[in-house]
Amino acid sequence: MALAEADLVAAGVGRDGPRRTKVIRPVAFSIRDLWAGLMGLSAYADLLVVLSAHRLKIRYKQSMLGIAWAVIQPVALMLIYTLVFSVFTRIKTPGVPYAVFAYAALLPWTFFSTSLTNATNGLVSHAQLVTKVYFPREILPISYIVAALVDLLIASIVMSGLMIYYHVSLTPQVLWLIPVTLVMAAFTTACSLIFSAMQVRVRDIGMAMPLVLQLWMFGSPVVYSLRQVPERFRDYYLLNPMVGIIENFRAALLGNPIDSHSLVISTVLSVVLLPLSYLYFKRVEATVADVI
Amino acid sequence: MSSDLIFSNVSKRYIVRHEVDDDATKHPWIRKLNALRKRRDEFWALRDVNFAVERGETVGIIGHNGAGKSTILKLLANITAPTSGEIVINGRLSALIEVGSGFHPELTGRENIFLNGAILGMGRREIASKLESIAEFAGVKAFLDVPVKRFSSGMYVRLGFSIASHLDPDILLLDEVLAVGDAAFQEKCLQRIEGLRRAGTTIVFISHDLAAVERICDRVILMRRGEVAATGNPRDIISLYQEQIEPSRINTMKTAVEDDRAVIESLAFYTPSGLRPSVFHTADPLVARIDYVAHEEVRDAVFEIFVRTGDLTEMCQLTTETSGSPINLPVGPGTLEFHCDELSLQPGMYHANVCVKERLASEAINWQYHAATLRVDPGRITRGQFYQSNRWKLLRQAHSATSAQNGAGEAERPPATRRPSLTPTS
Repeated sequence: MALAEADLVAAGVGRDGPRRTKVIRPVAFSIRDLWAGLMGLSAYADLLVVLSAHRLKIRYKQSMLGIAWAVIQPVALMLIYTLVFSVFTRIKTPGVPYAVFAYAALLPWTFFSTSLTNATNGLVSHAQLVTKVYFPREILPISYIVAALVDLLIASIVMSGLMIYYHVSLTPQVLWLIPVTLVMAAFTTACSLIFSAMQVRVRDIGMAMPLVLQLWMFGSPVVYSLRQVPERFRDYYLLNPMVGIIENFRAALLGNPIDSHSLVISTVLSVVLLPLSYLYFKRVEATVADVI
Repeated sequence: MSSDLIFSNVSKRYIVRHEVDDDATKHPWIRKLNALRKRRDEFWALRDVNFAVERGETVGIIGHNGAGKSTILKLLANITAPTSGEIVINGRLSALIEVGSGFHPELTGRENIFLNGAILGMGRREIASKLESIAEFAGVKAFLDVPVKRFSSGMYVRLGFSIASHLDPDILLLDEVLAVGDAAFQEKCLQRIEGLRRAGTTIVFISHDLAAVERICDRVILMRRGEVAATGNPRDIISLYQEQIEPSRINTMKTAVEDDRAVIESLAFYTPSGLRPSVFHTADPLVARIDYVAHEEVRDAVFEIFVRTGDLTEMCQLTTETSGSPINLPVGPGTLEFHCDELSLQPGMYHANVCVKERLASEAINWQYHAATLRVDPGRITRGQFYQSNRWKLLRQAHSATSAQNGAGEAERPPATRRPSLTPTS
């Protein structure tokens, strides 16, 4: 006990630095809030790291296959799609075997769908915490995205195996993965923020999510390529930001030319959507504890 | 002096949704549709609340349930936003509210310390440097690498409090957290809080435990229906609050059973010397005095006092039924006193009900609920449900036969231990 006391006194001396002043006001919908929110978030960077690591640990703690689960889902989907679309019916894939073609798209898609599924419930499943302690709530959905990003890296190991097996070699195009992944992360974050905030009031969002994701996948060039979409639908089709993201993720991996048109559309949509979704989230956050 | 917390014109409105009660004769689909259209009611949990807390001050907030105490706590902790007004917080604030809610059962103690610490706003490096001390304080040092699902509930609670209390905040919010753990750990917590207080931490303490509020706080704010009703020194405000509970000490009685033969006018607690203090202490002597008026002669009457806690648990009974000679009440007023040598009740607030009946009758003649409030503060500190009065005697002292004689006798109560000092004595 005496030791703890001494610690406290020492800490007391050290604490006489400048103090941060915080002002709490009713919520407004302004750019200033955006800035304040980001500053608050940066103060909790460590929590994001710890919580994301926690997501991974929990997932693998009492499971036998552990980390392999990051790979099992995309690989299983790849196998079934390869069976359906290259054995039962033939889908033309330019230059590469279907398995590689499909897996290259399943990587970003699995990231997106896993993130969204988990993040949508991010606030609701932590109601206990949310009503007891303050921390920037966006950390909850975002931590699932960070964890999914790690899964994406692990699943990529299988991709390299596939590429070696089928003699598909990497080209300098692979550098495009960096901007494409950034856009993907931004769009995923925007969607996660919106859906997790809506889920607090309307639980239907979570119910609908598996169906929505299934439809969304077939509305994105995962099992087929962008070029196979009829010209007359193309303009509408491209409004789905996942189109530009998935098509170009695959192009970068397989060394195909980048489709800049779709990439620009996805980028612009994501960049506009992200701050708006954040403001919306922060607005819901202010009273989330009263509703949840 | 600068203010650490400022509430200016803070209001908080809650929207309460009611299900629309619907006609069962309608088609189920129509009822379902109507159910979506819920009635909205407004409820103002706080209305134009203004107060400031100075640096280094310990302020208590008391009031009935629904007076706005916990809303203030939630607003301060930033868990929810005010509807209007402004709250200024100078410095790092942390709240000790229901600790341990952020634990994950599958993770080890160590992992949970990092997780929980981060949730409470500590950096990883800060947690790493305090890890030892946190585990030490919680007494779980040997179990750091065990999943917390294997922890006992006591370890769980202790670890939660230990993490939170290592925050070194400038401003500390305290809920009813002191009610956790066993008596020894509670004492440890109190010492910890006292340490923070001496280190200059500003503390806001929100509690029903009036004794604890009076012990810890420099100033008390009394809330009533979402507004600040009064603020001032603890003794005054607490007695004001107690008068609210029972506006005049005598007339809060609710008559439960009444026939006109005899009426209990009042019940009050005194010291043997006839003083009427607002507070008693465990192991103090106590006199309970009943004033009554008999309108008809009552033969073989029995007086009884039931002492209950706030949640209506019956703690003890004083009765004339099983001792002494039969009581016959002549017409006219009278007084009856129960004398207790040592009060067995542990610290807390108690209510007393009182009744008078005929020994063999099934119905009481007169029964008064909430006839008096009894506040007990820590006196002779013992653990357990109640204080057992006792004497002790040392037998068979090995070396000196004479000292055995000196050591025997009643356990003395030195004045210093009557009210526990808050400074660590160990």
